[in-house]
Amino acid sequence: MGSTNSTLSRIPNVEELMQETGFTPAHIVRLYDRFEALDKEKTGHLRPQDFGAINRLAMNPIGDRIIGSFFSTGQETVDFHSFVRILAHFRPADKNRPKDPSMPQPVNSRTSKLKFAFQLYDQDKDGKISRAELLQVLRSMLEMQVTEEQLESIADRTIQEADLDKDDAISFEEFRKSLEKVNIDHKMSIRFLR
Amino acid sequence: MEPRIPSHRSSYGLESFLERGLLLLVMLIFLEGTVLTLGAASSPDISAQDNTGGGDDQRGIEGRHGHANYTKKAFPVLSLDYRHIHVPFEISLWVLLASLMKLGFHLIPRLSSIVPESCLLIVVGLLVGGLIKLAGEEVPPVLDSNLFFLCLLPPIILDAGYFLPIRPFMENIGTILMFAVVGTLWNAFFVGGLLYAVCQIEGTYLSQVELLPCLLFGSIISAVDPVAVLAVFEEIHINELLHILVFGESLLNDAVTVVLYHLFEEYSDAGEVTPMDVVLGVICFLIVSLGGIAVGTIYGILAAFTSRFTSHTRVIEPLFVFVYSYMAYLSAEMFHLSGIMALIACGAVMRPYVEANISHKSHTTVKYFLKMWSSVSETLIFIFLGVATVAGPHAWNWTFVSVTVILCLVSRVIGVVGLTFIINKFRIVKLTTKDQFIVAYGGLRGAIAFSLGYLLDKDLFPMRTMFLTAIITEIFFTVFVQGMTIKPLVDLLAVKKKQEAKRSINEEIHTQFLDHLLTGIEDICGHYGHHHWKDKLNRFNKKYIKKCLIAGERYKEPQLIAFYHKMEFKQAIELVESGGGVKLPSAMPSQVSMQNIQPKKLPPAVAERALPQFTKGREEEIRKILRSNLQKTRQRLRSYNRHTLVADPFEDGWNDFILKKQRMIELEKKVRLMSNYLTVPAAPPDSPTMCRARLASDPNAFYNIKASSDGVPTIQVDLASPQSPDSVNMLNEFSKRGATDQGLGQREGADRDEDQGLMMKPSSNPGLMRCLSDPGPSNEDEEDEPFLP
Repeated sequence: MGSTNSTLSRIPNVEELMQETGFTPAHIVRLYDRFEALDKEKTGHLRPQDFGAINRLAMNPIGDRIIGSFFSTGQETVDFHSFVRILAHFRPADKNRPKDPSMPQPVNSRTSKLKFAFQLYDQDKDGKISRAELLQVLRSMLEMQVTEEQLESIADRTIQEADLDKDDAISFEEFRKSLEKVNIDHKMSIRFLR
Repeated sequence: MEPRIPSHRSSYGLESFLERGLLLLVMLIFLEGTVLTLGAASSPDISAQDNTGGGDDQRGIEGRHGHANYTKKAFPVLSLDYRHIHVPFEISLWVLLASLMKLGFHLIPRLSSIVPESCLLIVVGLLVGGLIKLAGEEVPPVLDSNLFFLCLLPPIILDAGYFLPIRPFMENIGTILMFAVVGTLWNAFFVGGLLYAVCQIEGTYLSQVELLPCLLFGSIISAVDPVAVLAVFEEIHINELLHILVFGESLLNDAVTVVLYHLFEEYSDAGEVTPMDVVLGVICFLIVSLGGIAVGTIYGILAAFTSRFTSHTRVIEPLFVFVYSYMAYLSAEMFHLSGIMALIACGAVMRPYVEANISHKSHTTVKYFLKMWSSVSETLIFIFLGVATVAGPHAWNWTFVSVTVILCLVSRVIGVVGLTFIINKFRIVKLTTKDQFIVAYGGLRGAIAFSLGYLLDKDLFPMRTMFLTAIITEIFFTVFVQGMTIKPLVDLLAVKKKQEAKRSINEEIHTQFLDHLLTGIEDICGHYGHHHWKDKLNRFNKKYIKKCLIAGERYKEPQLIAFYHKMEFKQAIELVESGGGVKLPSAMPSQVSMQNIQPKKLPPAVAERALPQFTKGREEEIRKILRSNLQKTRQRLRSYNRHTLVADPFEDGWNDFILKKQRMIELEKKVRLMSNYLTVPAAPPDSPTMCRARLASDPNAFYNIKASSDGVPTIQVDLASPQSPDSVNMLNEFSKRGATDQGLGQREGADRDEDQGLMMKPSSNPGLMRCLSDPGPSNEDEEDEPFLP
């Protein structure tokens, strides 16, 4: 426990962070250790190259997008707070949270998780997944094993199915609706981040 | 005794199905009972010449009174030799009875909705057994352990293992193992221990029952039975999670049961179990379970590898699946490993590779055979349970039996609640109280317990009959009481039911996307979680294993594409069946997707000039593409209802559809050919030429298919009628999206005609089809294409 406390004391604003994300001190410490391990040059910030050093991430079809999601627009580096905030999306949701509509949704609620996933699709941040963006995702996931025509028809089909207001793009609401049968809490949670 | 064939006359007068069904039942029971009696009577003891028990007439005819002086008798023109064939005959008769019972139950709808099938079958077994006993004969020991474990159980387990939904199973494997191992152990010791305590109480006259036999009894009775669970659960359609939990538990507790059984049986002689034995028991458990899985995996890989080479002998493909699996089971049983786990592992391992290799028809064969055998097996098991109940020597002891029943219930509830409390700490999606109740209530016992009890040695266990009675009572209690009440309880508690399996392409894409996302996040966190290992396994699979075990180039195709194609063609067929002109509410197979099938489009100028070669080449290409794409699609079996196969409307019409589609494409081209040569625009649909052509032909039944769905307005395309142009216009409206006007009158570009060719244009062509009498592609071409899930 001693080392936990000392590590915690090194992190600025750690109380606020725990409050906001719901992580326990043990988790924060674990994440801080990981942050420091990634931050090879000890600058206190992570750059895209640091993420790129993770080998397995390079093999991931959407690895670049994930890395990109950590950096908010215009920023070159990620500090520990942002790092934790992004990862907080993947905490399992608290079952017994009182459903208070006036309070903002916590970071790990179903809606927030979906919003995070949505933003990964929507690279230009216009609030919709356009056909081109969908094509990009499909191309990266299917890894050159299909022809362009097949990709296009899949993209068309996908948009057709989900697009309820016929604007040829998928909005967040449509995205959420198409995933209503999927147990997002289960699919988008990492057990260790409890 | 003459075989009594009841008169059939009475059946002619009966009108309702119900009465016919009942009469059928009664007739069959009679028939079964009498023939079996006959069989039982004539089979034993050829040598006993003064054995006059029943059926003597037959024997007399044979002249078995062999003595020295041979008197010449008349040449036997017609003789009856039942003894010669009696074993296969009886087996067939039992199977026939089982199948006819199944038929009968489904003819009586009200009954089958109240009472689960398993209960009815046990009752039938009781009736048959009762009849045999009434006839004064000894009831044949039908639920012989060998028969059960070697013949009746494997098909059911193979069916379950082959169609096991791997994903939910693996996601919940921790929970399932906890319930299977720890839960069964708890049950065994709790029931065994408390029974022993009760037996020691004065006044029950049971004090001669020792501890170890009690524990043995506890271990026999505590295992949840897969057959019973399957039989009852599939009728209640609960959600996937609960189903896989209870079912998975029933499959995996076999290893525990085997070890406990052997352990206690071995040492009930010695009278005590030392700690050393316990350690050995634990080691034995690990060997039994892991060994069983290993044996199954080896055979599964062998089967997958064999199926890679079967492209020239498609007919025996299903055989490999069955034989390898059965050998896996037998090999495991040979070493006293867990045969059930071997079978499950074999089926689950071999399935993805075998399905990528075998043909369309072989897949169907495998599916149907498995379901048929497992269905018959299950029916037979329950009937035999009924017969064995009537047959077996019983030693009823109120205390013992009632305490057993109560203790089993109590221990199950405590076990489930306690384990869930621990498990929920590790689960993301927690188990609610309702879930726990269903899991506890669904712990049914079945024939495995009975067979294990039957295997006990009479000398070592003098109270064997009492055990058997108690086991049977417990089985009856769980199957009847719990089986019958679970359905209303599920409704009462509003437990989440199984969702319809229809998965949209959005879900598929997004789920895969999320998988990748989570794997990436886990890598960033440096956490070797669930997704990490799954991803690793998938990569390993793709890189090495698929190359070895899947024939040809098929291993490269991503799952998403196969899924997508399946959806597209399903919609195309729906479109055809609904008459073509109706705008479907959900997404329509777009022009784009149809165009997707086409090869590169040639510019019209080139097409016109190079017509003869163009037509044939394109035709071949289209045919090939259609064939390969269509053959790859298959409805994934997501349903958990083992006995009603997912009604596949496309299955039968599939080949017809392909044929006709191709025929139509060819005809389109020929029309174009004709019209280009004649340099006359093709006749509009109501021109005299077309009308005459149409009238000359019979309306092709294919195009008159009524829409199957209710509420969707249908347009019946009546080909001979002058109203056809209207339907053509409807079609045009539909197909207008994204393409230029494709009215029949305008036949300009080659590419547009390609589009038209692939869209269903029923009205234009049938007459021409008949006129030109194009034979179309031959059937055997389609055999070769292997099938992809």
